[in-house]
Amino acid sequence: MAPTLYMIPPSPPVRSVLMTAKALGLTLNEKIINFPAGEHLQPEYLKLNPQHTVPTLVDDDGFAVWDSNAINPYLIGKYAKDDSLYPQDLQKRAIVDQRLHFNGSVAFGAVAGIVRCILYEGKTCLDDNDKTRVEQVYAFLEAFLDDGKPWMAGDCLTVADYNLYATVSAGDVLVPIDGQKYPKVATWFDKVGNLPEAEATKKGLAIFESLISSKLQ
Amino acid sequence: MAPVLYMQDVSPPVRSVLLTAEALGLKLEKKVVDLSKKEHLTDNFLKLNPQHTIPTLDDNGTVVWDSHAINEYLVEKYGKNDSLYPKDLAKRAVVNQRLHFDSGVIFSWLRYIVRSYKYKGRKELTEDQIEHLEESYSLLESFLKGHQWVAGDSVTIADFSLVTNITSLTLLYPVNPEKYPNIINWIKRAEGLPYYKVHLEGLQSFKKMFQEMLK
Repeated sequence: MAPTLYMIPPSPPVRSVLMTAKALGLTLNEKIINFPAGEHLQPEYLKLNPQHTVPTLVDDDGFAVWDSNAINPYLIGKYAKDDSLYPQDLQKRAIVDQRLHFNGSVAFGAVAGIVRCILYEGKTCLDDNDKTRVEQVYAFLEAFLDDGKPWMAGDCLTVADYNLYATVSAGDVLVPIDGQKYPKVATWFDKVGNLPEAEATKKGLAIFESLISSKLQ
Repeated sequence: MAPVLYMQDVSPPVRSVLLTAEALGLKLEKKVVDLSKKEHLTDNFLKLNPQHTIPTLDDNGTVVWDSHAINEYLVEKYGKNDSLYPKDLAKRAVVNQRLHFDSGVIFSWLRYIVRSYKYKGRKELTEDQIEHLEESYSLLESFLKGHQWVAGDSVTIADFSLVTNITSLTLLYPVNPEKYPNIINWIKRAEGLPYYKVHLEGLQSFKKMFQEMLK
Protein backbone atom coordinates (compact mmCIF):
# COMPACT_ATOMS: atom_id res chain seq x y z
CA MET A 1 0.00 0.00 0.00
CA ALA A 2 1.32 3.45 -0.88
CA PRO A 3 2.23 5.79 1.98
CA THR A 4 -0.39 8.48 2.60
CA LEU A 5 0.44 12.15 2.42
CA TYR A 6 -1.90 14.58 4.13
CA MET A 7 -1.49 17.78 2.22
CA ILE A 8 -2.71 20.88 0.46
CA PRO A 9 -1.22 21.45 -3.02
CA PRO A 10 0.02 25.07 -2.65
CA SER A 11 2.03 24.49 0.54
CA PRO A 12 5.81 24.76 -0.10
CA PRO A 13 6.75 21.99 2.35
CA VAL A 14 4.11 19.73 0.77
CA ARG A 15 5.56 20.44 -2.66
CA SER A 16 9.02 19.43 -1.47
CA VAL A 17 7.63 16.03 -0.44
CA LEU A 18 5.91 15.62 -3.82
CA MET A 19 9.22 16.47 -5.51
CA THR A 20 11.16 14.00 -3.38
CA ALA A 21 8.58 11.25 -3.96
CA LYS A 22 8.73 11.82 -7.73
CA ALA A 23 12.53 11.65 -7.65
CA LEU A 24 12.25 8.32 -5.80
CA GLY A 25 9.62 6.97 -8.19
CA LEU A 26 7.37 6.61 -5.16
CA THR A 27 3.60 6.87 -5.42
CA LEU A 28 1.89 8.64 -2.55
CA ASN A 29 -1.75 8.44 -1.67
CA GLU A 30 -2.57 12.16 -1.45
CA LYS A 31 -5.28 13.24 0.98
CA ILE A 32 -6.21 16.89 1.03
CA ILE A 33 -6.82 18.43 4.45
CA ASN A 34 -9.61 20.99 4.52
CA PHE A 35 -8.13 23.78 6.64
CA PRO A 36 -11.04 26.24 6.38
CA ALA A 37 -13.33 23.49 7.72
CA GLY A 38 -10.91 22.86 10.61
CA GLU A 39 -10.11 19.32 9.50
CA HIS A 40 -6.53 19.74 10.77
CA LEU A 41 -7.92 20.23 14.29
CA GLN A 42 -10.06 17.09 14.35
CA PRO A 43 -9.05 14.44 16.92
CA GLU A 44 -8.18 11.87 14.20
CA TYR A 45 -5.68 14.26 12.62
CA LEU A 46 -4.29 15.47 15.94
CA LYS A 47 -3.56 11.85 16.84
CA LEU A 48 -1.38 11.62 13.75
CA ASN A 49 0.13 15.09 14.13
CA PRO A 50 -0.47 17.12 17.30
CA GLN A 51 1.19 20.06 15.59
CA HIS A 52 -1.69 19.95 13.04
CA THR A 53 0.39 21.01 10.08
CA VAL A 54 0.83 19.69 6.55
CA PRO A 55 2.57 17.74 5.17
CA THR A 56 2.06 14.69 7.38
CA LEU A 57 3.17 11.32 6.08
CA VAL A 58 1.67 8.05 7.24
CA ASP A 59 3.75 5.15 6.01
CA ASP A 60 2.18 1.82 5.04
CA ASP A 61 2.99 0.39 8.48
CA GLY A 62 1.09 3.19 10.20
CA PHE A 63 4.15 5.21 11.20
CA ALA A 64 3.33 8.92 11.11
CA VAL A 65 5.83 11.75 10.74
CA TRP A 66 5.45 15.43 9.93
CA ASP A 67 7.64 18.36 8.89
CA SER A 68 8.98 18.10 5.35
CA ASN A 69 12.54 18.46 6.66
CA ALA A 70 12.02 15.20 8.61
CA ILE A 71 9.71 13.47 6.08
CA ASN A 72 12.00 13.75 3.07
CA PRO A 73 15.14 12.26 4.72
CA TYR A 74 12.90 9.47 6.02
CA LEU A 75 11.51 8.72 2.54
CA ILE A 76 14.99 8.77 1.05
CA GLY A 77 16.33 6.48 3.77
CA LYS A 78 13.52 4.03 3.25
CA TYR A 79 12.85 4.10 -0.50
CA ALA A 80 15.91 5.44 -2.33
CA LYS A 81 18.18 3.10 -4.28
CA ASP A 82 21.28 4.92 -3.03
CA ASP A 83 22.19 7.68 -0.56
CA SER A 84 22.95 10.45 -3.05
CA LEU A 85 19.97 12.60 -2.08
CA TYR A 86 20.89 12.36 1.61
CA PRO A 87 24.51 11.21 1.88
CA GLN A 88 25.72 8.83 4.58
CA ASP A 89 29.11 10.58 4.53
CA LEU A 90 29.18 12.59 7.78
CA GLN A 91 30.69 15.75 6.35
CA LYS A 92 28.32 15.88 3.38
CA ARG A 93 25.32 15.05 5.52
CA ALA A 94 26.16 17.78 8.04
CA ILE A 95 25.99 20.37 5.27
CA VAL A 96 22.63 19.02 4.07
CA ASP A 97 21.31 19.04 7.65
CA GLN A 98 22.38 22.65 8.15
CA ARG A 99 20.65 23.63 4.88
CA LEU A 100 17.46 21.84 6.00
CA HIS A 101 17.44 23.71 9.32
CA PHE A 102 18.07 26.97 7.47
CA ASN A 103 15.15 26.07 5.24
CA GLY A 104 12.80 25.32 8.12
CA SER A 105 13.65 28.20 10.39
CA VAL A 106 15.04 31.11 8.36
CA ALA A 107 13.75 30.62 4.81
CA PHE A 108 10.32 29.17 5.51
CA GLY A 109 9.98 31.43 8.55
CA ALA A 110 10.33 34.50 6.32
CA VAL A 111 7.98 33.25 3.59
CA ALA A 112 5.32 31.76 5.89
CA GLY A 113 5.27 34.86 8.08
CA ILE A 114 4.41 37.06 5.11
CA VAL A 115 1.95 34.57 3.59
CA ARG A 116 0.09 34.28 6.91
CA CYS A 117 -0.37 38.06 6.99
CA ILE A 118 -1.62 38.06 3.39
CA LEU A 119 -4.04 35.15 3.76
CA TYR A 120 -5.33 35.73 7.30
CA GLU A 121 -4.57 39.27 8.38
CA GLY A 122 -5.64 41.29 5.37
CA LYS A 123 -2.19 42.37 4.19
CA THR A 124 -2.58 43.67 0.64
CA CYS A 125 0.97 44.64 -0.22
CA LEU A 126 4.49 43.83 0.86
CA ASP A 127 6.35 46.50 2.79
CA ASP A 128 10.11 47.15 2.92
CA ASN A 129 10.44 44.94 5.99
CA ASP A 130 8.92 41.97 4.13
CA LYS A 131 11.15 42.51 1.11
CA THR A 132 14.23 42.74 3.33
CA ARG A 133 13.31 39.50 5.09
CA VAL A 134 13.01 37.56 1.85
CA GLU A 135 16.08 39.19 0.32
CA GLN A 136 18.09 38.23 3.41
CA VAL A 137 17.24 34.61 2.63
CA TYR A 138 18.44 35.07 -0.96
CA ALA A 139 21.63 36.75 0.31
CA PHE A 140 22.43 33.81 2.58
CA LEU A 141 21.72 31.30 -0.20
CA GLU A 142 23.96 33.32 -2.53
CA ALA A 143 26.70 33.02 0.11
CA PHE A 144 26.11 29.26 0.49
CA LEU A 145 26.57 28.94 -3.29
CA ASP A 146 29.72 31.05 -3.19
CA ASP A 147 31.99 28.01 -3.18
CA GLY A 148 31.17 27.55 -6.86
CA LYS A 149 29.56 24.17 -6.32
CA PRO A 150 26.53 23.47 -8.52
CA TRP A 151 24.03 22.49 -5.85
CA MET A 152 22.93 23.94 -2.54
CA ALA A 153 24.89 21.45 -0.42
CA GLY A 154 27.87 20.83 -2.72
CA ASP A 155 28.69 18.74 -5.77
CA CYS A 156 25.58 16.62 -5.77
CA LEU A 157 21.86 17.24 -5.91
CA THR A 158 20.36 16.52 -2.49
CA VAL A 159 17.16 16.89 -0.51
CA ALA A 160 18.48 20.34 0.50
CA ASP A 161 17.88 21.45 -3.10
CA TYR A 162 14.34 20.09 -3.10
CA ASN A 163 13.32 21.61 0.22
CA LEU A 164 14.94 24.98 -0.45
CA TYR A 165 13.55 25.08 -3.99
CA ALA A 166 10.03 24.58 -2.69
CA THR A 167 10.44 27.44 -0.19
CA VAL A 168 12.28 29.75 -2.59
CA SER A 169 9.70 29.20 -5.34
CA ALA A 170 7.10 30.59 -2.92
CA GLY A 171 9.47 33.39 -1.92
CA ASP A 172 9.94 34.21 -5.59
CA VAL A 173 6.19 34.79 -5.95
CA LEU A 174 6.36 37.35 -3.13
CA VAL A 175 9.72 38.95 -3.92
CA PRO A 176 11.09 37.91 -7.34
CA ILE A 177 14.72 36.80 -7.26
CA ASP A 178 16.85 39.65 -8.58
CA GLY A 179 19.25 37.92 -10.96
CA GLN A 180 21.65 40.86 -10.84
CA LYS A 181 21.97 40.83 -7.05
CA TYR A 182 21.72 37.03 -6.64
CA PRO A 183 23.06 35.49 -9.86
CA LYS A 184 24.01 32.17 -8.28
CA VAL A 185 20.58 31.78 -6.66
CA ALA A 186 18.87 32.65 -9.96
CA THR A 187 20.94 30.06 -11.86
CA TRP A 188 20.38 27.42 -9.20
CA PHE A 189 16.65 28.18 -9.11
CA ASP A 190 16.27 27.71 -12.86
CA LYS A 191 18.35 24.55 -12.80
CA VAL A 192 16.31 22.89 -10.05
CA GLY A 193 13.08 24.10 -11.64
CA ASN A 194 14.00 22.28 -14.84
CA LEU A 195 14.56 18.92 -13.16
CA PRO A 196 11.91 16.32 -14.09
CA GLU A 197 10.91 15.96 -10.42
CA ALA A 198 10.14 19.69 -10.22
CA GLU A 199 7.13 18.98 -12.42
CA ALA A 200 5.43 17.57 -9.30
CA THR A 201 5.49 21.02 -7.71
CA LYS A 202 4.15 23.09 -10.59
CA LYS A 203 0.41 22.60 -10.09
CA GLY A 204 0.61 23.55 -6.41
CA LEU A 205 2.85 26.52 -7.19
CA ALA A 206 0.29 27.82 -9.72
CA ILE A 207 -2.43 27.57 -7.05
CA PHE A 208 -0.16 29.41 -4.59
CA GLU A 209 0.54 32.16 -7.14
CA SER A 210 -3.13 32.59 -7.85
CA LEU A 211 -4.02 32.66 -4.13
CA ILE A 212 -1.45 35.36 -3.40
CA SER A 213 -2.19 37.52 -6.44
CA SER A 214 -5.90 37.43 -5.61
CA LYS A 215 -5.13 39.03 -2.23
CA LEU A 216 -2.47 41.56 -3.22
CA GLN A 217 -3.32 44.90 -4.73
CA MET B 1 43.17 17.54 17.93
CA ALA B 2 39.98 18.34 19.82
CA PRO B 3 37.22 19.84 17.64
CA VAL B 4 36.98 23.61 17.97
CA LEU B 5 33.66 25.12 18.96
CA TYR B 6 33.10 28.78 18.19
CA MET B 7 30.68 29.79 20.86
CA GLN B 8 29.32 32.13 23.48
CA ASP B 9 27.72 30.41 26.44
CA VAL B 10 24.81 32.82 26.62
CA SER B 11 23.43 31.13 23.47
CA PRO B 12 21.01 28.23 24.05
CA PRO B 13 21.98 26.42 20.82
CA VAL B 14 25.64 26.63 21.88
CA ARG B 15 24.67 25.09 25.20
CA SER B 16 22.91 22.18 23.45
CA VAL B 17 26.28 21.37 21.82
CA LEU B 18 28.00 21.57 25.23
CA LEU B 19 25.44 19.07 26.55
CA THR B 20 25.96 16.74 23.60
CA ALA B 21 29.75 16.86 23.93
CA GLU B 22 29.58 16.24 27.67
CA ALA B 23 27.17 13.33 27.17
CA LEU B 24 29.61 11.85 24.65
CA GLY B 25 32.62 12.44 26.90
CA LEU B 26 34.09 14.55 24.12
CA LYS B 27 36.46 17.41 24.82
CA LEU B 28 35.91 20.54 22.76
CA GLU B 29 38.29 23.45 22.38
CA LYS B 30 36.08 26.46 23.02
CA LYS B 31 36.76 29.73 21.17
CA VAL B 32 34.58 32.62 22.21
CA VAL B 33 32.98 34.67 19.47
CA ASP B 34 31.52 37.73 21.13
CA LEU B 35 28.40 38.68 19.18
CA SER B 36 28.11 42.03 20.97
CA LYS B 37 31.54 42.95 19.59
CA LYS B 38 30.47 41.71 16.12
CA GLU B 39 33.21 39.09 16.13
CA HIS B 40 30.88 36.88 14.07
CA LEU B 41 31.06 39.40 11.20
CA THR B 42 34.84 39.33 10.70
CA ASP B 43 36.11 38.13 7.32
CA ASN B 44 37.70 35.08 8.94
CA PHE B 45 34.52 33.98 10.60
CA LEU B 46 32.39 34.64 7.50
CA LYS B 47 34.80 32.43 5.53
CA LEU B 48 34.11 29.66 8.01
CA ASN B 49 30.36 30.26 8.27
CA PRO B 50 28.66 32.67 5.84
CA GLN B 51 25.53 32.52 7.97
CA HIS B 52 27.69 34.02 10.76
CA THR B 53 25.99 32.17 13.59
CA ILE B 54 27.17 30.34 16.69
CA PRO B 55 27.69 27.57 17.43
CA THR B 56 30.07 26.72 14.60
CA LEU B 57 32.20 23.58 14.81
CA ASP B 58 35.58 23.07 13.13
CA ASP B 59 36.48 19.42 13.51
CA ASN B 60 39.97 19.34 12.08
CA GLY B 61 38.87 21.00 8.86
CA THR B 62 35.27 19.75 8.77
CA VAL B 63 33.19 22.84 9.40
CA VAL B 64 29.60 22.43 10.54
CA TRP B 65 27.15 25.02 11.78
CA ASP B 66 23.64 25.02 13.15
CA SER B 67 23.55 23.31 16.53
CA HIS B 68 21.18 20.60 15.27
CA ALA B 69 23.52 19.61 12.42
CA ILE B 70 26.50 19.83 14.80
CA ASN B 71 24.89 17.57 17.40
CA GLU B 72 23.87 14.99 14.80
CA TYR B 73 27.42 15.02 13.41
CA LEU B 74 29.04 14.68 16.85
CA VAL B 75 26.87 11.71 17.85
CA GLU B 76 27.47 9.93 14.54
CA LYS B 77 31.19 10.53 14.67
CA TYR B 78 31.99 10.17 18.37
CA GLY B 79 29.09 8.30 19.94
CA LYS B 80 29.80 4.80 21.28
CA ASN B 81 26.25 3.91 20.30
CA ASP B 82 23.34 5.62 18.50
CA SER B 83 21.05 6.21 21.48
CA LEU B 84 21.33 10.01 21.34
CA TYR B 85 20.43 9.99 17.62
CA PRO B 86 18.99 6.60 16.67
CA LYS B 87 19.85 5.10 13.30
CA ASP B 88 16.43 3.41 13.08
CA LEU B 89 14.65 5.39 10.32
CA ALA B 90 11.35 5.87 12.12
CA LYS B 91 12.92 6.82 15.47
CA ARG B 92 15.31 9.16 13.71
CA ALA B 93 12.45 10.79 11.80
CA VAL B 94 10.73 11.58 15.11
CA VAL B 95 13.96 13.08 16.52
CA ASN B 96 14.41 15.06 13.31
CA GLN B 97 10.89 16.46 13.51
CA ARG B 98 11.52 17.54 17.12
CA LEU B 99 14.82 19.14 16.07
CA HIS B 100 13.00 21.09 13.33
CA PHE B 101 10.30 22.07 15.83
CA ASP B 102 13.14 23.42 17.94
CA SER B 103 14.75 25.41 15.11
CA GLY B 104 11.60 26.43 13.24
CA VAL B 105 9.27 27.20 16.15
CA ILE B 106 10.97 27.44 19.56
CA PHE B 107 14.30 29.06 18.71
CA SER B 108 12.70 31.27 16.04
CA TRP B 109 10.46 32.78 18.70
CA LEU B 110 13.24 33.06 21.26
CA ARG B 111 15.50 34.82 18.75
CA TYR B 112 12.68 37.14 17.63
CA ILE B 113 11.76 38.05 21.21
CA VAL B 114 15.36 38.65 22.34
CA ARG B 115 15.94 40.83 19.28
CA SER B 116 12.82 42.89 19.94
CA TYR B 117 14.10 43.55 23.47
CA LYS B 118 17.67 44.19 22.43
CA TYR B 119 17.25 46.20 19.24
CA LYS B 120 13.78 47.67 19.59
CA GLY B 121 13.98 48.43 23.28
CA ARG B 122 10.84 46.48 24.21
CA LYS B 123 10.39 45.84 27.93
CA GLU B 124 7.55 43.34 27.77
CA LEU B 125 6.11 40.66 25.51
CA THR B 126 3.45 41.51 22.95
CA GLU B 127 0.09 39.69 22.93
CA ASP B 128 1.11 37.99 19.70
CA GLN B 129 4.36 36.72 21.26
CA ILE B 130 2.51 35.42 24.33
CA GLU B 131 -0.04 33.63 22.14
CA HIS B 132 2.72 31.93 20.17
CA LEU B 133 4.65 30.98 23.28
CA GLU B 134 1.55 29.41 24.80
CA GLU B 135 0.98 27.46 21.60
CA SER B 136 4.62 26.34 21.56
CA TYR B 137 4.49 25.20 25.18
CA SER B 138 1.22 23.43 24.49
CA LEU B 139 2.76 21.53 21.55
CA LEU B 140 5.79 20.52 23.59
CA GLU B 141 3.46 19.36 26.37
CA SER B 142 1.67 17.11 23.85
CA PHE B 143 4.98 15.67 22.53
CA LEU B 144 5.85 14.69 26.10
CA LYS B 145 2.49 13.01 26.78
CA GLY B 146 3.16 9.44 27.85
CA HIS B 147 6.90 9.78 27.31
CA GLN B 148 9.90 10.54 29.46
CA TRP B 149 11.70 12.49 26.79
CA VAL B 150 10.61 14.58 23.81
CA ALA B 151 11.16 11.92 21.17
CA GLY B 152 10.24 8.84 23.19
CA ASP B 153 11.57 7.01 26.18
CA SER B 154 15.29 7.68 25.73
CA VAL B 155 17.11 10.97 25.92
CA THR B 156 18.23 12.26 22.52
CA ILE B 157 19.82 15.37 21.08
CA ALA B 158 16.27 16.70 20.61
CA ASP B 159 16.07 16.97 24.40
CA PHE B 160 19.36 18.87 24.52
CA SER B 161 18.18 21.42 21.95
CA LEU B 162 14.75 21.87 23.48
CA VAL B 163 15.78 21.98 27.13
CA THR B 164 18.40 24.69 26.56
CA ASN B 165 15.90 26.80 24.63
CA ILE B 166 12.95 26.19 26.97
CA THR B 167 14.93 26.86 30.17
CA SER B 168 16.02 30.14 28.56
CA LEU B 169 12.52 30.99 27.29
CA THR B 170 10.97 30.27 30.68
CA LEU B 171 13.02 33.15 32.10
CA LEU B 172 11.15 35.45 29.71
CA TYR B 173 7.78 33.74 29.93
CA PRO B 174 7.43 31.14 32.66
CA VAL B 175 6.13 27.67 31.88
CA ASN B 176 2.93 27.39 33.91
CA PRO B 177 3.27 24.20 36.01
CA GLU B 178 -0.49 23.71 36.19
CA LYS B 179 -0.99 23.94 32.45
CA TYR B 180 2.22 22.17 31.45
CA PRO B 181 3.14 19.54 34.08
CA ASN B 182 4.83 17.33 31.46
CA ILE B 183 7.26 20.12 30.59
CA ILE B 184 8.05 20.81 34.26
CA ASN B 185 8.68 17.12 34.95
CA TRP B 186 10.82 16.79 31.83
CA ILE B 187 13.00 19.75 32.90
CA LYS B 188 13.43 18.13 36.33
CA ARG B 189 14.36 14.87 34.61
CA ALA B 190 16.96 16.72 32.48
CA GLU B 191 18.37 18.39 35.60
CA GLY B 192 19.06 14.89 36.92
CA LEU B 193 21.34 14.03 33.98
CA PRO B 194 24.96 13.82 35.22
CA TYR B 195 26.21 16.26 32.54
CA TYR B 196 23.35 18.76 32.80
CA LYS B 197 25.39 21.23 34.84
CA VAL B 198 27.53 22.10 31.81
CA HIS B 199 24.78 24.41 30.55
CA LEU B 200 24.00 26.18 33.84
CA GLU B 201 26.71 28.84 33.71
CA GLY B 202 25.53 29.92 30.27
CA LEU B 203 21.94 29.92 31.46
CA GLN B 204 22.97 32.34 34.21
CA SER B 205 24.67 34.53 31.57
CA PHE B 206 21.44 34.50 29.58
CA LYS B 207 19.45 35.48 32.68
CA LYS B 208 21.88 38.33 33.38
CA MET B 209 21.72 39.52 29.77
CA PHE B 210 17.95 39.53 29.88
CA GLN B 211 17.83 41.43 33.19
CA GLU B 212 20.18 44.05 31.69
CA MET B 213 17.85 44.46 28.71
CA LEU B 214 14.91 45.12 31.02
CA LYS B 215 16.65 48.05 32.71
